[in-house]
Amino acid sequence: MSHRNPFALALLLALAAAVAFGCATGTPPPAPAAAQAEAAFEPFHSLVDAAFVKQHIQMPMAEDVMIIDSRPRRPKYEEGHIPMAVSLPDSQFAKLAGQLPANKDALLVFYCGGLACPLSHKSARKAEALGYTNVKVFAEGMPGWLKVKGNYASVSVEWLQKQLQADTGLVVVDSRPRRTQYDKGHIPGALSIPDSEFAQLASALPADKAAALVFYCGGLKCPLSHKSAEKAMALGYTNVMVFADGYPAWTAHTQEAAGAPMKAGKAEGTIDTDNFVQMVTEAPERLYLVDVRDSEEFARGSFKSAVNIPVEQLEAKMGSLPQDRPVVFVCNTGARSGESFYMVQDLKPGMKNVYYLDAEVTYRKDGTFEIKKPTS
Amino acid sequence: MFRKTMTTAITLLLVLTFVGIGAAMEEGNKRKGKYTYRKVYKSCFDQGGCASETPPLGPNAKTQAEWEKIFGARDFAAFGCSQEWAQLSDEDVKDIFAYLHAHASDSPTPLSCK
Repeated sequence: MSHRNPFALALLLALAAAVAFGCATGTPPPAPAAAQAEAAFEPFHSLVDAAFVKQHIQMPMAEDVMIIDSRPRRPKYEEGHIPMAVSLPDSQFAKLAGQLPANKDALLVFYCGGLACPLSHKSARKAEALGYTNVKVFAEGMPGWLKVKGNYASVSVEWLQKQLQADTGLVVVDSRPRRTQYDKGHIPGALSIPDSEFAQLASALPADKAAALVFYCGGLKCPLSHKSAEKAMALGYTNVMVFADGYPAWTAHTQEAAGAPMKAGKAEGTIDTDNFVQMVTEAPERLYLVDVRDSEEFARGSFKSAVNIPVEQLEAKMGSLPQDRPVVFVCNTGARSGESFYMVQDLKPGMKNVYYLDAEVTYRKDGTFEIKKPTS
Repeated sequence: MFRKTMTTAITLLLVLTFVGIGAAMEEGNKRKGKYTYRKVYKSCFDQGGCASETPPLGPNAKTQAEWEKIFGARDFAAFGCSQEWAQLSDEDVKDIFAYLHAHASDSPTPLSCK
């Protein structure tokens, strides 16, 4: 464990500069930024460095340790924070203090935007005033964290969704096992590179080592995305992030965003076409989309979030269909998807949350599509 | 004269009968019919009653009028697997007709048994 006081160091440097330059010329030189910052507020009495912070990060976090981001949640925390840190903006400290651990002896490490940022120091004092006895400030904050080789940022679900909607070229990687997790649902467009197969499948990552990569897995208790992120950095990738809240947070967020429940179509078992288009565009994770066409047809293009189970194989694979969200069968006319719906009705009558798309669908290789209501 | 009138009447009766059958059968569920139709042959194949799980006649094997005639007469001999066909309910038969009729060779969307 190492404790440093960067403010004392900055003050010494400023004094040295004043002696070396100001005294010689007779006019005071401009003070370094850190010194200016120091003059603006009194630093907290107990400071720690990035190594100390890293030492206390684990998945899941220990109950008696909390790393706290004191910056405004939007956009700072959302676009990048220390992995496993919680957002508790200093401006909302009183309102959100209930999120702090019940144990007053728990280790609390506050950080914000670097040496010039007073927010973590202010929050640390507020925490002590509440009776917390083991409070620290990581004064170098987020910039200092990212300067350390091998460190990466975690991103929030809001930021990730915006990036995907804006099609910024971000590469999302699902580190969970493929068959039991990824195939049952994943973030649209995510690559499946299970952490256990990283070495064999890493060639699926972009050749450009500066490409932005975001790894995720099953939430805050899951270490797989963090392990894969470290492996990617070891391969030379320089813009690596982790979406630590993972797939559970993605599903919850997109379901909330989707708002209205699913709307059934007029014919038995069908989903309303307009409702389907809206959901598959805005919140595809609300649905478990099964493309029941042949694998050759699927390979030529399908919905980005669809899995392929050709209708001939559906009976054998029926046990893999999830029960926690609606299953929607799709093909290109409604014939095979309808057949699939009735197969489930016949062979697994207890499964109620099943639909099919009765429409003519044209799929394109890039995942875009065109839907027309059926003519017959 | 009498003979000509009788012939016209019988023809008219037959036409109306087939139109009526067609209209009644159209009420079936073609999506469900496709599943039921294929299920007949899967079951038949499992019992050793036929050589393939694939139905011997696809919808486009007949015209709509030919399907109407077959189902109007309930003559399912050409389909084989008579035991399975005998166990189908009226609703199942209606559904299968709706599927075959909707995708007959002269329909807007002819289909093989894919």
